[in-house]
Amino acid sequence: MQSFLNWLDARTDYRQLLAPIRMRVLPAGPRWAYSTASCLLWLFIVQLVTGLLLMLSYSPSTTTAWASVHFIEQTAAGHFLRGVHHFTSHALIILCGVHVVRVLLARAFQAPRELLWITGLLMFPLMLVWAISGNPLSGGLSGVSQIEVEGHIIGSTPWVGPLIQRILIGGEEAGHLTLTHLYFLHVGLLPLLVIGLLLFHIGQVIRHGLSVAELGGPQDDVSRWSAPNLTHLIAAHTSPLPPPRLKYYPYQTVRNMTVVTVVLGIISAIAGMHGAPLDAPADPTLPHTPRPEWYFRSLFELRRYFVGDWEFVATIIIPGAVLGFFVLFPMLNRKCSPRVSLIHRALVLLVGVGAWIGLTGMSYLRDWNDAEYLASSAETEALSARARDLADRSLLPPEGAITLLRDDPKTQGPLLFARHCASCHSHADASGQGMVASEPSAPNLHGFGTAAWISGKLDPQRIVSEHYFGKTKFTEGDMVSKIKELFDGIEEAEAAKMRDDLKLVAQALSAEAALPRAAAADHDAQAPIVTGRELLSGRLACTDCHKFRDQGELGSAPDLTAYGSREWLLGMIGNPQHERFYSGDRNDRMPAFAEDTEHPERNLLSPRELNLLVDWLRGDWYEPPTTSIPAQRRNATLAGN
Amino acid sequence: MRRRTLLKWISGCLATLCASVVGIPGVSFVLQALRKSGSDGDRVRRVARLKDLPVGKPVAVPILSAREDAWTVHPDEVLGRVWLVRRKPDAKVGAESIPQIVAFSATCPHLGCAIQHDAKENRFQCPCHRALFGLDGERVAAKTGVQKNPSPRAMDLLDCRLVTDETTQEVWVEVTFQKFEQGLTKKVLKA
Repeated sequence: MQSFLNWLDARTDYRQLLAPIRMRVLPAGPRWAYSTASCLLWLFIVQLVTGLLLMLSYSPSTTTAWASVHFIEQTAAGHFLRGVHHFTSHALIILCGVHVVRVLLARAFQAPRELLWITGLLMFPLMLVWAISGNPLSGGLSGVSQIEVEGHIIGSTPWVGPLIQRILIGGEEAGHLTLTHLYFLHVGLLPLLVIGLLLFHIGQVIRHGLSVAELGGPQDDVSRWSAPNLTHLIAAHTSPLPPPRLKYYPYQTVRNMTVVTVVLGIISAIAGMHGAPLDAPADPTLPHTPRPEWYFRSLFELRRYFVGDWEFVATIIIPGAVLGFFVLFPMLNRKCSPRVSLIHRALVLLVGVGAWIGLTGMSYLRDWNDAEYLASSAETEALSARARDLADRSLLPPEGAITLLRDDPKTQGPLLFARHCASCHSHADASGQGMVASEPSAPNLHGFGTAAWISGKLDPQRIVSEHYFGKTKFTEGDMVSKIKELFDGIEEAEAAKMRDDLKLVAQALSAEAALPRAAAADHDAQAPIVTGRELLSGRLACTDCHKFRDQGELGSAPDLTAYGSREWLLGMIGNPQHERFYSGDRNDRMPAFAEDTEHPERNLLSPRELNLLVDWLRGDWYEPPTTSIPAQRRNATLAGN
Repeated sequence: MRRRTLLKWISGCLATLCASVVGIPGVSFVLQALRKSGSDGDRVRRVARLKDLPVGKPVAVPILSAREDAWTVHPDEVLGRVWLVRRKPDAKVGAESIPQIVAFSATCPHLGCAIQHDAKENRFQCPCHRALFGLDGERVAAKTGVQKNPSPRAMDLLDCRLVTDETTQEVWVEVTFQKFEQGLTKKVLKA
């Protein structure tokens, strides 16, 4: 090994190139605080490596972005790498902040290190932009909404704003080009800019060495440390001077590596346990309240105080002024005595950090006290979990991940019901959970078609309650009087028998609906169902008014054949005035949502929407098995490798 | 100097550990490409009703299959085509007459072009290099010219059987679709 390194050194002089770092002597001895720089460099390299690896499988377009990210998440390695990439971006920003504070405290920005300070400060906002340009790449709901809001913020800047907004978004609204443009920024332009600044920054570190203040030397003597002289440094090390002068390598290196290992360990643990978040695929029709990342919360809060035309003060002027102030700080601080300088720096730090924490905290407090926001955020999380469940079920269609929730009855049903049905119908369980119409004027459809729901309709008290016919004209109708008649003037024992009979009828009618959730129960209750059917067309004489299979006639009451089935509900919602349901003037106020079968585009509900609504009412949607599929798939992949 | 050596050693170990935290999953992630993609699935297909097959005249049917591509599944893509030949006459087993159906892959064993049916001569021919095949799938020599048949083997015979649909009671031809290597004298299943 040693001979190989000698061979290499003879050809590359690498030892001399590394000497300014390796052989550098730290007069004040190694310190833990110095390791922020090294840690930043390590995390930066981790970002480059994980980012490059993710590019192996990522595909930027609105049809493929979310799907390809979900695909990456399917393997243990992909899940971990994406998690590391995500959490390292947050760690980098925190460490950048710590690093700036440390440099400020050490007064390490003094001449001749102004360029070190300025390049460092310029890298900070670039890192922030770099981080947020990565969020929308997953094609997720929150990332894409964030970039839309950020686009509006840029667009509200006077003069050049709208231009930059269009270039960033790649057009008028988010689409394929938004993702390719952000991809260009995230993996092309910003890395080049930051790496350029970083190389200059590191070059300056090597050129100037540690700051005088950090070295504990006299403040005015800057030339002494400006150019590291190898022979001088080695001589300094080898000469037996008290206190022992320790070289950077390994005394500082071992501290750096310990910090890096701890930080990377924490990141890996979080990445392994939680992984990076993956929201529901972006879809403008889904409800969502966008919020910025934590590092932009302070600006988000600031925006609240500058509304309308003054918004650019919060979004451009103040951040620009703060950055400018920090850039110029070395000049402002130059002439101060150490004591005055310390007061200045302490003041800047207190005001700066205080304002940042204050604004950030206020923004979060506002949200935590905002029930509406909390509900919306919980809804986004539920939609995201649902999208992941659906995507775990099978590969995605060529149209992309947006179809996952668009074709999902569980997601679309409540939205459609709220828009088209909930002004009259409630859809709420016994405890009032669900959608409650402000002025219900039609039956509560929660559990429609189940034996429990039908039983209520066959109960003389409950049928006239507002959950059934109470608020409709049917409360005066034949159905209500017929049910009441059944219980008229009979003994309690007979009434109990009647209730049992009606329970069987309800069971038989529920079997007609063939609800997927009741399939097992229906299968096990063949005998009661047959008895129920006999009662229905026999002793209880429902078929006097209703048609049921080959008994009774259409025209006077809704058809009970296949009552509550998919096809029955499609017909009922499509056109309640059809003779199978409430023909003529017997319909109350129920509109026909899909009357025109020739021209579906003219109807209130498209065939797709109608199907989704009916499937949702019938509880007919995919539910994932209770064991976690991604975990299984991941294990399978591991075993495969 | 013992302490210095130990610290160097620790630094090296920690650096290696940190590098491998990303390096090992990274290599594993790159090697994902070696993983066999998707399931080839069930390639047994009902391709035609028996009553739709004329005796002695080949019929081409497509084999549709969902094609998986990383995260996307393309439903109903044409995986390949199959020539069905109903031979005349039906075989007699006792009083029962059993239709004789054979199925050939429409992929030419020479270079993989799509074999077509020449209605005039009632034989198969490949338009690319004039490979000729009889209705039994065997190679035949051209009547004119001296050109040799370029196909290294006969058309690839596929497993097929007659099945009766349980609900409609119709008789269907069911084919097990397979792909074979081209350019070999022997029929070798594609890996």
